[in-house]
Amino acid sequence: MAGNTVSEIVKIKRKIYIELAKQVLNNEIENKISKIPFKIAKEDGERYRCCVHKERAIIEERIKLVLGFDPKLHKNEKPVDLLKKRGQEDCCDNIVNVIELACDSCPIDKYTVTDSCRNCVAHKCVNTCPVDAIVTIQNKAFIDQKKCIECGKCREVCPYGAIHENIRPCVRACSVDALTSNSERKAKIDYEKCVDCGSCIRACPFGAISDSTEIVNVCRTIQKGKRNITALLAPSFVGQFGAKVKPEILKSALKEIGFDEVIEVGLGADLVAVEESQELKEKIMEDDFLLSSCCPSFKKTVQKHFEELKPKISKTVSPMVKIAEKVKEDTGNKTVFIGPCISKKAESCKYDSVDHVLTFEELMCIMVAAEMNLASYEKKEGIKDSSSHGRQFAFSGGLSKVMEDLTEKEIKTVKGNGLDECQKLLNEIMTGETEIDFMEGMACQGGCAGGPANLNKSKVTKKLVELFSNQAEYKRADQNEYTA
Amino acid sequence: MKKLTVEVCIGTPCYLMGARELIDDMTELQNEYEDKIKFKTLHCIEERCENAPIVKIDGEIYEEMTPDKLREIILERI
Repeated sequence: MAGNTVSEIVKIKRKIYIELAKQVLNNEIENKISKIPFKIAKEDGERYRCCVHKERAIIEERIKLVLGFDPKLHKNEKPVDLLKKRGQEDCCDNIVNVIELACDSCPIDKYTVTDSCRNCVAHKCVNTCPVDAIVTIQNKAFIDQKKCIECGKCREVCPYGAIHENIRPCVRACSVDALTSNSERKAKIDYEKCVDCGSCIRACPFGAISDSTEIVNVCRTIQKGKRNITALLAPSFVGQFGAKVKPEILKSALKEIGFDEVIEVGLGADLVAVEESQELKEKIMEDDFLLSSCCPSFKKTVQKHFEELKPKISKTVSPMVKIAEKVKEDTGNKTVFIGPCISKKAESCKYDSVDHVLTFEELMCIMVAAEMNLASYEKKEGIKDSSSHGRQFAFSGGLSKVMEDLTEKEIKTVKGNGLDECQKLLNEIMTGETEIDFMEGMACQGGCAGGPANLNKSKVTKKLVELFSNQAEYKRADQNEYTA
Repeated sequence: MKKLTVEVCIGTPCYLMGARELIDDMTELQNEYEDKIKFKTLHCIEERCENAPIVKIDGEIYEEMTPDKLREIILERI
């Protein structure tokens, strides 16, 4: 996507993150958490809902979700109650959740007739409707919503384009048809189908879909000064925190706010690249093919929607898991993955090696809470864990290029850039229409550089990552001292 | 004629609340009105971070700035 704009919804979300992080860091969250809605929705502030009380109630629901609790299941509890429950009760199983109070229940009548209808003589709409749902009333076609089966044929045949297709933004954004609505017409996520990509979160203009976070957990850990905690920086981190904030500055700043070590996930990508290219060579020998495993939403799409292809997914773990395992083995430290991705939050639940996941956005809110101003921070510390290869995992096409380099063979690769394209390719692979050796699947447009929690434009990030990649000490993953 | 001085804060709180978009917009405006606008970035403006993003126009401070508001103010003053 062409860069995430900072909408009012995004600002409110970030203000909540900052306030919560501040309170944890100042050791006052138990006493002050109930004041956050009042601080953010002021009596004389801008208003988007009926009244300030509703604004505040919605903020309260958002806080519950930030704490990791599904607001639907904890309607009658206050954030302060949930704070006490943390640790005793498992937080929400699903990362992406609907905040029903914020959902506008947008119209779900899929087809309606607009004023462009001329009540023409041919009335193709009436003739083509398979269930006789269209009649003419007061000189205009009318769709009986009780009869309509939403086939869309009327819309196709109308010569005036007078029939409007109404799709909710969340439904339109979802590539895997996981969004429906409940009896109150509120958005509902079908978790059997959802792949945690986060598209609906970005799409909803009411901010009614959001993701749970680990901000409070991470702040507690860094605040205690235990200092046994390693930040794992995803390859797309370059330039996310401001054009002038170089990787060396960011590394130093992370240590300043309480992280003990900082390591590039690119090193994990190097390890993955070596292992996965070996796997690919074996597959090619067997006349078989391989699907990439580093994007968890792509992996879930295959598992949930293309079951037949499940065995073709690479058995190599993702770069996040790989690097977390290495850190655990080498230091025993707590691990915090920091990336542009919501899906990684769900992936991390399956692996003990990854303790917490933060997005770039969440990290930056913690920085603000810790009064770390990166623009004026000058300390630097060298960062050179990853080879050029590992750093290229950040954008669409990077992984397949690495595979071509490492297998040293002519291989047939395809890349799915975004979930729609991924599914199209998977369909073609299933039917045999497309023959491949390797498929790189990235759920986000542009790869991780276009992820939902990026702070910079996808194209700019790609450029900066490429520059950073060219500066790497080693060109190839197999030259890196840790993989060689 | 004296140029209008526009200073956009790019400190972390302002960046998080949309300063990058303000800078994109300012770069565009400056190209358009090169002889009328002097555009700079600052690291913090009087610690007004609570109401980020902050912009200073000829010494006058504006809080909670948006690209639309900024454009309007500037076009009015040049």
